[in-house]
Amino acid sequence: MKKIFYILIMMVFSSMFHSLSAQEEVGTIGDIWSYPVIYNYDEEVTWYFDLSTTSFSPEEEVYIWIWSPSEPDAGNWENSSEFAHLTNEGNMIWSFTLTPTEYFSMTAEDIAASAGFWFRLKDQAGTKQTDVANVSYTPFNSFYTADEMIRSYPTEPTFTDGLSILFNSNLVAGFEDATSVHFHSGLNDWEVLQEYQAWIPEIVEKTKLKDLGNGFYKMDLIPNVYYDTAPDGYIMNNIVFLFVKDDWAGTSPNLVLNAAEYVPPPPAEFRYFPMQISQKDIFGLIRVNNEQGVNALNYTITGGSTTLTGQFTGGVSEIKGFVDLATGLQNEANLNQIHVVVTDNLGNTISDTIITLKTLD
Amino acid sequence: MAVVVIMIFGSCNSNDDGSYTPPITLYEKVNGSWTLTNLKMVDEFAKANGIEPNEQNIGSWFNYDTFQMNLEVNDQNEPTTYEVLGDVPLLFPPSGYWRLSTDFQLTTPHPAKIFLYDDAQRTQLLETLNVTSVPGSNNQMEVQLQRISGGAPFITYIFKLTSN
Repeated sequence: MKKIFYILIMMVFSSMFHSLSAQEEVGTIGDIWSYPVIYNYDEEVTWYFDLSTTSFSPEEEVYIWIWSPSEPDAGNWENSSEFAHLTNEGNMIWSFTLTPTEYFSMTAEDIAASAGFWFRLKDQAGTKQTDVANVSYTPFNSFYTADEMIRSYPTEPTFTDGLSILFNSNLVAGFEDATSVHFHSGLNDWEVLQEYQAWIPEIVEKTKLKDLGNGFYKMDLIPNVYYDTAPDGYIMNNIVFLFVKDDWAGTSPNLVLNAAEYVPPPPAEFRYFPMQISQKDIFGLIRVNNEQGVNALNYTITGGSTTLTGQFTGGVSEIKGFVDLATGLQNEANLNQIHVVVTDNLGNTISDTIITLKTLD
Repeated sequence: MAVVVIMIFGSCNSNDDGSYTPPITLYEKVNGSWTLTNLKMVDEFAKANGIEPNEQNIGSWFNYDTFQMNLEVNDQNEPTTYEVLGDVPLLFPPSGYWRLSTDFQLTTPHPAKIFLYDDAQRTQLLETLNVTSVPGSNNQMEVQLQRISGGAPFITYIFKLTSN
């Protein structure tokens, strides 16, 4: 209640003060986000503002005037300080980098107890201003007692947006006394890699998790930046990863985060066609909803002393082919069964079975 | 007077002798050279149990674009030999003798059958094809080869043919 009252008072005050100065209202800020996605108040963070919904020009010099949790640039409305100056990122996006405890000269506890981050964006002279806005903060303290090995923000990452992954190493045997923990990972089932190469200093640094203390760690990344070999427009289905202690002194289980864009495909389905055959028939192999990378089926059909082999190619939606048993087994008299083995191009066994042949009337 | 009567009766006799035309037999429609326009394979077991898919078009597989079936007749339109040309699966023996189950198109729902024999005496039956669509003015014919075990069909091959 006290917080709400404070905000209302400040908003009224802000409105009255600036209406006297005849500011130009430029509109509402379109979107606000941060990187890292989650952060402690004593951690450096960059806030991003989409001002495409405002009448600010693309070349505008934009400043922040923030009064909660404290007002660092108090008294300078008509001449904002350089420390309140935003960075123009292009495409009507501006950013502001700060460490909250330092910028507001407050402890993390005091900031946490405050009404939050309330502000306007403005030009330096204070002749233009946005509507009052708020940077929301995502607390993650609950993770410390949640008994979860990992937790991600957001739960389903996207290729071009920030991602924070929390790791509780206390739940993985062998991570005691770790001097560092690293992120060994890839996109789409290891198709695009960012391995933990412990012998390359810059990779060691890039893959290193932030130590939050007491066995808790945090990894921050933006997939399309972090996996810099992935092409533009890459369709990210998942991030597969494991955490590594020191120089591979210990590892977590293999883990996966499915991407927001990811729509789980229907399971692969293999069948023979038709369901009953004689040795004088045509025999089909059909597999639909194939996994990524599976584009061929190899078959070995043994009937009596005759072995028929071959390969059918296709794609994710379907791989299909037909075998001419009638001709291939014409020298085998009165077979009552065949042995069929089907593998995919990745070496996986799809089917290994004995098929009983029908006897014709 | 007698001459006139003779001329009248003589004229009547002459008209009766030359007007008979025998009906068209099924052999006249079925004989000849046929190429494949489509080959469909029906999984009768799956179809009977409501399992999909229960049909596959296989005419584009193997070398069915080279398939040709010749059903020969003699100058009395009596069946003689048959042969299948093209490098295609041996779903039935590629040559032999043939005959139809009926000389004339049946009005009953039971299709006429093409019996394929190994010998000219037609004692060694090789295979039976059902004529499910009789050639008409469009020169199209559909024949079916059915695999049967224990009295129950489990596969049907449907050949759609066009005459050359």
